[in-house]
Amino acid sequence: MSDGPLRNDTSLELHRLMVFSRTLDRIYGEHDGHWHGLEGEEAVAAGVYHGLRPTDILAPHYRGMPIASYAKGADLRRLFAGMLAKKTGYNRGRHRNDICGPPEFNLIGLYTGSLGPPVGYATGAALAAKIDGRDDIAVAVFGDGGSSRGDIHEAMNLAAVQKLGVVFVCQNNQFAISTPLETGVAGSVAARGQGFGMPGVEVDGNDVLAVKDAMQTAIARARAGEGPSLIEAKTYRVAGHFYSDAEDYRDQDVVQSWRSRDPIAAFAAFLTDQGIASAAELQAIEDTATEQIKAAFAAALADPNPDEDDLGFDTVYAAEASA
Amino acid sequence: MTRMTFQQALVAGIAEEMRCDPDVFVLGEDVGLFGGPLKSTEGLFAEFGAGRVIDMPISEGTIVGAAVGAAMQGKRPVVDLMFLEFLGLVMQQLIDAGAMHYYSAGAARVPLVVRAKYGVGPHHGHQYDLHSWATNIPGVKVVAPASAEDAKGLMKAAIRDDNPVLMVEHMALYHGVRGDVPDDPDWIVPLGKAAVVREGRDVTIVASAMMVKRAQQAAKVLADEGISAEVVDLRTIAPLDEDTVLASVHKTGRLVVACEAIGRGSSANDVIALAADRAYASLKAPIRRVAAPDVPVPFHRDLEKIYVPGAAEIEAAVRSTFQSAEAAP
Ligand SMILES: Cc1ncc(C[n+]2csc(CCOP(=O)(O)OP(=O)(O)O)c2C)c(N)n1
Repeated sequence: MSDGPLRNDTSLELHRLMVFSRTLDRIYGEHDGHWHGLEGEEAVAAGVYHGLRPTDILAPHYRGMPIASYAKGADLRRLFAGMLAKKTGYNRGRHRNDICGPPEFNLIGLYTGSLGPPVGYATGAALAAKIDGRDDIAVAVFGDGGSSRGDIHEAMNLAAVQKLGVVFVCQNNQFAISTPLETGVAGSVAARGQGFGMPGVEVDGNDVLAVKDAMQTAIARARAGEGPSLIEAKTYRVAGHFYSDAEDYRDQDVVQSWRSRDPIAAFAAFLTDQGIASAAELQAIEDTATEQIKAAFAAALADPNPDEDDLGFDTVYAAEASA
Repeated sequence: MTRMTFQQALVAGIAEEMRCDPDVFVLGEDVGLFGGPLKSTEGLFAEFGAGRVIDMPISEGTIVGAAVGAAMQGKRPVVDLMFLEFLGLVMQQLIDAGAMHYYSAGAARVPLVVRAKYGVGPHHGHQYDLHSWATNIPGVKVVAPASAEDAKGLMKAAIRDDNPVLMVEHMALYHGVRGDVPDDPDWIVPLGKAAVVREGRDVTIVASAMMVKRAQQAAKVLADEGISAEVVDLRTIAPLDEDTVLASVHKTGRLVVACEAIGRGSSANDVIALAADRAYASLKAPIRRVAAPDVPVPFHRDLEKIYVPGAAEIEAAVRSTFQSAEAAP
């Protein structure tokens, strides 16, 4: 583990986020076979999504959207309700919180299912901050697969020429559905940063402190008005593309070898070794996560389904007077 | 004849064309070993290998762009775009491809098929029916099969066609519809030809893809009420088979057009314009349109049900054509 200048409570918050993510993943995955699990990639999510300001803009990777939304302040029960498309969800059943976080928390998600465009929207949010003279930043996260979309290259170039406060993060889990990194991505994603005139670094995406350190450097640069950065966090998609993926396109031995590099187990060992937390304290974090997530999910499940009122045919256009 | 699903029929059509024409190849995301989204290319990789079934990075504009470039060189690429929701990412390339033959005074040809899945159905998500956009591009053909037989026959015809063809594949039909499909490799279903899939005397229902199934259900219910409905399956939406539509409307004197796309700007409107222009004298009642409302496709199943036009809406529209001209449905 890298040893950045991080306070112990930050470490515990990072751990807590990872544990929440894993717990949410298991409970929701059992319910929905289409769920895109985050198992094994939690260190990237926690390191990137932790500690942003409410006014910072976040376009998370679609995989991990709920934990990103939670880190940004969204309510767990309403998020679950949004994933289940219940009446009580942030979307009133019209859309899906598993790929689209609520914008009232300055989250940008997928409004159709298309990867790429949200990175442009995040770049535009940073442009708005620059015009306003705010030091709020934008964080735009995409997968190794998504990194091949032209939108993302264009966004990096635009952010660099305009010196926008964007932190681009490639959550490289080495698979895009069935397509392995080697056939999806030529060269290094991190190295593309230099191509666009911005710092580009590769970090161990299974080391939450390494991710957090890289984020802090990039965020400081963005807030100071010095421009964008690119971080490639290398990890592995231990989960299937979705929960009930047959995964007959990859070697299960490799999956197992990454399972043994589990970022949560590794960080738990680090926390106890360093005397930052006792085994009992870590257990308490897990128990709380299980309890809170189970309760939130059960409540959301029991929430009412949307009805004709929620379709809101007359609310597609924003009303003239809306502030 | 072989009995197969809609999805198997699409793949069988591609495989047959690949066997007899070495210029045909497949490209797209996860089309190789994985077998394509919803198994849209299942078995092709095993038979033809990585040289002709080529996995692509997530770069839709360039996937279709590269296919256009290869087609200009005489290849016959079949692109799997995954979902019709991504049509917006490749529109510029389709506009170019559609113009090439005409603008080059015939020097350029673009024999290209772009396949895209869509539709409200078991695959929850990526439902948008955006096919109408492509009907507004000169030079591009838009094809929407409704049966396993047509899936194979239209796919083969699309691959042999020297123009860019958008083949929209409704996901509710994919694994849900089976049929007997001819085995003769020379057999095709020609593009530009609609089919009368149910004969009737009193009213014409024009539909395509999943709406054909809904129209057929509606026609059965209406038959019990003494209304004899004829169902026309467009099969090719652009260019439109005007003769078949007009012949039916002249015969029945009533027209209901059904589509899953949003009504505003939809291809259904062109069928209505055709009848208004060229069958006005035969019409005994106002033309009715059954289409999705002007709203993004909602996610919850209950909302989806309210949103998507079904057999009941088609029935109601048909009944309304038997009321006085002033009465709204
Ligand atoms: C523009 C676009 N093309 C294709 C898809 C279909 N799709 C959904 S997830 C996915 C794989 C994405 O891979 P990656 O970006 O590496 O993220 P991961 O799933 O590995 O987390 C694809 C191809 C999409 N959603 N958007």
